[in-house]
Amino acid sequence: MSALPRLSTILLAAITTLVAVLLYSPLFVPIVSSFFTISHGDVDWSSPTVSTYVALVQNHDILAALRTTLIVGACTVVLSVVSGTLLALYYHGRRSGRSVLQFIIFLPFLMPPIISGLALLIFFREIHLERSLLTVIIGHTVFVLAIVYRTVLTRLQSMSRTLVEASYDLGATGWQTFWRIILPNLSSAMVGGAILAFALSFDETMITILVTGTQSTLPVRLWAMMRLGFSPDINALVALILMFTVLLCVLAARFLIPRQVATERT
Amino acid sequence: MNQNADLLTLRSVSKSYGTVPVLHDIDLSIKDGEFLTVLGPSGSGKTTVLRLIGGLEPLTSGEIRLDGQDISRMPINKRPFNTVFQDYALFPHLTVSGNVGYGLSVRHIQRKEIVRRVAEALELVQLGRFADRFPAQLSGGQRQRVALARALICQPRLILLDEPLAALDLELRRQMQEFLKSIQREIKTTFLFVTHDQEEAIGMADRICVMEAGHIRQLGTPHDLYYKPNCEFVARFFGENNLVAGKLGPAHGELRSIETALGRLICSISSQPHLKAAPDGASAYAAFRPEALHLVDGKDADNRFSGTIADLAFAGSSTVATIAAGIGNAAQRLRLRVPSRVDGSALKSGETVSLSFAPHEGHLVLA
Amino acid sequence: MSEAGSMQPAERRLSLLVTVLAFALPVLFVLVPLAIFLGYSFFSVDQGTIVYGLSLGNYVRFFTDPIFLPVFWNTIVLCVSVAIICILLAYPAAYFLTTLKGRWRYALLMLLLVPLLMSYVIKIYAIRSILGLNGFLNKALVAVGILQQPSTLFVFNMNAILLTLTLLLIPFAILPIFLSLERIPQVLLRASDDLGASGLQTFLRITLPLSLPGVASAASFVFVLAIGDFLTPQMVGGISGFTFGRILYSQFGTAYNWPFGAALSVALAVVVIAAILVGERFGRNRGTSI
Repeated sequence: MSALPRLSTILLAAITTLVAVLLYSPLFVPIVSSFFTISHGDVDWSSPTVSTYVALVQNHDILAALRTTLIVGACTVVLSVVSGTLLALYYHGRRSGRSVLQFIIFLPFLMPPIISGLALLIFFREIHLERSLLTVIIGHTVFVLAIVYRTVLTRLQSMSRTLVEASYDLGATGWQTFWRIILPNLSSAMVGGAILAFALSFDETMITILVTGTQSTLPVRLWAMMRLGFSPDINALVALILMFTVLLCVLAARFLIPRQVATERT
Repeated sequence: MNQNADLLTLRSVSKSYGTVPVLHDIDLSIKDGEFLTVLGPSGSGKTTVLRLIGGLEPLTSGEIRLDGQDISRMPINKRPFNTVFQDYALFPHLTVSGNVGYGLSVRHIQRKEIVRRVAEALELVQLGRFADRFPAQLSGGQRQRVALARALICQPRLILLDEPLAALDLELRRQMQEFLKSIQREIKTTFLFVTHDQEEAIGMADRICVMEAGHIRQLGTPHDLYYKPNCEFVARFFGENNLVAGKLGPAHGELRSIETALGRLICSISSQPHLKAAPDGASAYAAFRPEALHLVDGKDADNRFSGTIADLAFAGSSTVATIAAGIGNAAQRLRLRVPSRVDGSALKSGETVSLSFAPHEGHLVLA
Repeated sequence: MSEAGSMQPAERRLSLLVTVLAFALPVLFVLVPLAIFLGYSFFSVDQGTIVYGLSLGNYVRFFTDPIFLPVFWNTIVLCVSVAIICILLAYPAAYFLTTLKGRWRYALLMLLLVPLLMSYVIKIYAIRSILGLNGFLNKALVAVGILQQPSTLFVFNMNAILLTLTLLLIPFAILPIFLSLERIPQVLLRASDDLGASGLQTFLRITLPLSLPGVASAASFVFVLAIGDFLTPQMVGGISGFTFGRILYSQFGTAYNWPFGAALSVALAVVVIAAILVGERFGRNRGTSI
């Protein structure tokens, strides 16, 4: 072959590297600053420190926001997984009305968050629901529901219909079939959906800003702090969140690969 | 085992999906302890029959009786039948023993009892060593046997098998046929086996029920179906056959003549009263198997006609010749099967030959 | 399934309950809020209180007031530019990924997607510090000699919004393009080679057309996400970088005119729906599976 294909490969690799650098540079900055002091754009490489991490542990404001975020995330996961799974079970194999309601479920995910957030803001005002953690949790649940629903539905659709028939055929009742056959086969998709839901909730900013009360979540707290500039301990937090996110990512990948495929490889 | 008692009876059973009818007024009796095969091309309604009996689908009309009791409305999980599904439907999250023991465990049978019976069932299907594997770690044949063990562990009155061998390759399919038949003899349970493969049907069944377009065309032993087809569909579908159209002539005892483009042919009508009763001049076919046809020299043989060898095809132990017989509009293509010979067939392409079949090897079916 | 007359009364009650819930949840928390929101766009505000009388005033104001339409168009142009730049960067990267084998392909894909899950606010903050007067970008450009001295060209204006959104949204373009490229059967490319096409011809006449659905979905994704963003412009846009999202958001803050904000949202929703439909229309894969 000529030099042309090789040249194009090099060019492609170069662009890919550029993209990776572009994507990671914003992450790189806070991580470097969590260990080193930066002044006027110059990194002082000579004196690494963990003082930012120490400062983080003492920053009660941030820790409270982190706690709120985790509470919201946990509630969102429980609500979205339960309702998303029920909806998936309900709409699976049902024709009438499915496409319309499915479209409604997907609306908050497709619409810009500002529209979903404002619609909820007005809705809460109309039903006289004070803005609080509850409204944030509802907002997050509505937002991530589509993802959990889709994940579970996809698994349901890949599940052979005869599994359920076989269970009945062997004498199981409806409940037995649900608990012993359907649920175990959905569990990994539900865990995967839960991790995705948590990741989305953890970082959700725009809807949260609109429907939050006095207790704010971490992204909203960070956003408020940004105007003044961040204290160095924020960088430590970012580094920790990055590690946590990568871990979540690996876990999600692990659970979203169906068991069938995983065991067939061994 | 009481071969004569009816275990299950279907009485004028019909089934429609929406406005599309798939079964028309089916009547069928399954005898206790028999191996009954439902045979038909795809779309014939054979799988629907099985799903109606298993309770996987509701009847549109008619009734199903078990030991004389109507079970048409009995829910699927109360019926004493178990199914071996075409895709096996093994539960992927349970081990082999978990799968096989499922039917017992949902009935809250004691753990000790379950362990014992699972071991027995796995022994029966020769899978004792695989008890702790997951379905994904088994071969197709092994999965098939797990599905069988799972179905028979509850000691059902009837085991329903929905084309269970379709996914296996030829060699394995042959082995599984023998295996299924031997298990059926051992446990003496009634088997209802659905297939589109006639070889499979002939190889295993005590009786075969041939279905087409939502109707049962014929029910009988493989031998009956092969030698006494009662309609054109069975005559054509079941094994290789030569069919020649004509008009019925008079009957003489167990024989009846038919006027065809190949001349007057005499065929057997033994124990087929509807053929005896048919009026003279009725449209019918003379049906004779390729292996029943043979070359003749003499001029006075029955059912003699001549034709030209159009094609020869070597098929291992036998050679099949395609014969062009008759002339013009009445031209017929017939098949002749003769044993192969090491020095080549005695037949030559393009040669004109005289052929004949014995009257008792020819049959009539009404058009 | 179990419709064979096998439902117990308890199961039937449960199934009715589930049916009600299945309809109630999406209707109550999605459809009703959106419907009320739409209704609000026909109300008006008088001295800080909302007047619940129907009028088209908000829409008339949107189309006649000289402020809103230009910002609206500029924002659309901005977001289309973001989508185009994202695709120009993402396509070669996605294509490069598909030339890799086995686990490398997915490891690298993961690598390019992970930043998606990283804190959005932190990324904007970091990008702002990179683009700023003392940021790495200026330092690098001065060091290379392209700039004589640090410039404020990259922060607190439209350029900053464009660059920041692009950086944030590239992964959303990579994924659909990668998926559509990966779906192209290798045999088609071999067949094209076999028929005598050069590498470039195969790319232009087989690969590119077959990957266009992915490009369309990528473009619609990026566009929708960019146009709905009101935080990024607020944080890096300064005074000159004024986008439609910011105007919309301000109606619910400083301007306190919810009905007008709702009307602006309807305009935004129309554009978004149009973009999604266009993406859907061209994003459908035509015969990529054989």
